[in-house]
Amino acid sequence: MKSLTIEHLQKTYFDPFANKQVTAIRDISLTVDAGDFVAVVGPSGCGKTTMLNLIAGFLAPTGGQIRVDGRAVSGPGPDRGVVFQSFALFPWRTVLDNVAFGPKMRGVPKAQRHEIAHEYLALAGLAHAAERYPNELSGGMQQRVGVVRALANEPDVLLMDEPFASVDAQTRMTLQEELTRIWEQRRSTVVFITHDVNEAVFLANRVVVLSHGAVLDDIAVDLARPRAWDALIDDAAFKALAAKVLQQVRAA
Amino acid sequence: MSAAIVSVSPWQRLWGAYVRWTARYPALASLVPFVPVVVLWAAVAQSGLFPPVFFPGPVEVVQKFGTLMANGILPAYLEDSVIRLAAGTAVGLALGIPLGLLVGLSDRAHRALWPVLLFFQAIGDIAWLPILLIWFGFGLTTMIFVIVYTVLFPVVLNTVLGVRSVPLELHRAALSLGASKARVVWEVVLPGALPNVMTGLRNGLGFGWRALIAAEIIVGTSGIGFLMFDARRAGSVVEILLGMIVLGVLWYLVDSWVLAPIERATGERWGLVTRKE
Repeated sequence: MKSLTIEHLQKTYFDPFANKQVTAIRDISLTVDAGDFVAVVGPSGCGKTTMLNLIAGFLAPTGGQIRVDGRAVSGPGPDRGVVFQSFALFPWRTVLDNVAFGPKMRGVPKAQRHEIAHEYLALAGLAHAAERYPNELSGGMQQRVGVVRALANEPDVLLMDEPFASVDAQTRMTLQEELTRIWEQRRSTVVFITHDVNEAVFLANRVVVLSHGAVLDDIAVDLARPRAWDALIDDAAFKALAAKVLQQVRAA
Repeated sequence: MSAAIVSVSPWQRLWGAYVRWTARYPALASLVPFVPVVVLWAAVAQSGLFPPVFFPGPVEVVQKFGTLMANGILPAYLEDSVIRLAAGTAVGLALGIPLGLLVGLSDRAHRALWPVLLFFQAIGDIAWLPILLIWFGFGLTTMIFVIVYTVLFPVVLNTVLGVRSVPLELHRAALSLGASKARVVWEVVLPGALPNVMTGLRNGLGFGWRALIAAEIIVGTSGIGFLMFDARRAGSVVEILLGMIVLGVLWYLVDSWVLAPIERATGERWGLVTRKE
């Protein structure tokens, strides 16, 4: 796992109808150590999704630099896996072939990439769904596939853009617990975008609060692992941290 | 309410039987609705309202079908028409899908070509016949041109729609999983556009089939269109009716044996289009 460095990141758009530049990211500098789990929170319009799109290489910054393991980012690449809010599974591929997609692009032979995919599907309890098509699965199951598809490509950094925002509340808690379990086993480098303060504190080692395209605060979460909702939901330390983050987000 | 035994009416019994039998033999569902049509046709023909020469009944048409099959005219003409349509469709797809991809993927190509495409689409296939006859004469080139032209536009326009309907996230997902831009076209854009391409093909074939008959009527020396127009010269209404029925049946076969199975295996399977009953 490799580290992620962001230096004086800036992104402005030209709006042809307003005929002026609009600033989405003013100035963000951030270092995510290898194997760290960082959650990024902030109110709508604070630039958190733009930041993720810049790290993923879907957008080009207008200033500053993003480096993964020392290499400057220019465009999307398999070193940065992405999990989307809309799942973004390929509807014409089975679950197995969705998960095997990354290895296929790397040129891994069929038998071998199916083996990899089966292994990762088992990790998320999806072994039984391998031959099904995404539209035959529930939202929660589709997003499990989305996470596993990104992991199976073994990225240096895993970028997650509000991945659990479109599933129901109970499923969301389960998915959060599964994600911490997988992360605790594998210690991937994760940047997790969310607007849900409890989710951020539950999952992350660090919570970064964005406001108007800049870092407002960077809060360490020193809760013990493994984490589970049953234990944390009434935990004083958890509640205090969540309250602190919430206060910052509301001030943002 | 008490658990009264409600009797099943004879109509319900009949309806139930129909539903069960058509579920077991789906072909029945497409044949049975024609029974009243044929019965009505036979009744009008039998009534003597019109002279049999002008309004022959089903029996005469079936007999004619027998003779034309036996002397080899119908199979030969049918073969000519189907080969022309297949060749024209193949060329239309081979040109239309790449052009649709280009216009759908490139904003510049879209700005430059879209109005032009709409303009030429509006000039109907048959409207080209007069100038084509001057350029290429009464021959195969003219007929193939008309079919390709007719198939091309629905395929291009629907492919463009299909390409543009593929969510941005799917492009991004493929790129961040390591796909090159060319790979994204093959792995994401084409399958994502396929249901629309099929719609284009379906429309194109439908229009192409009509254009072919028109071209054969004007240009032809063989084919179903020629058969019907030639029959008019000879005053054989039976043959004209037979030609019309052959056209309908042939379209039905292409639809249920070629197009529908492809659609069931792709877009409907993937949940991109809702299943048809």
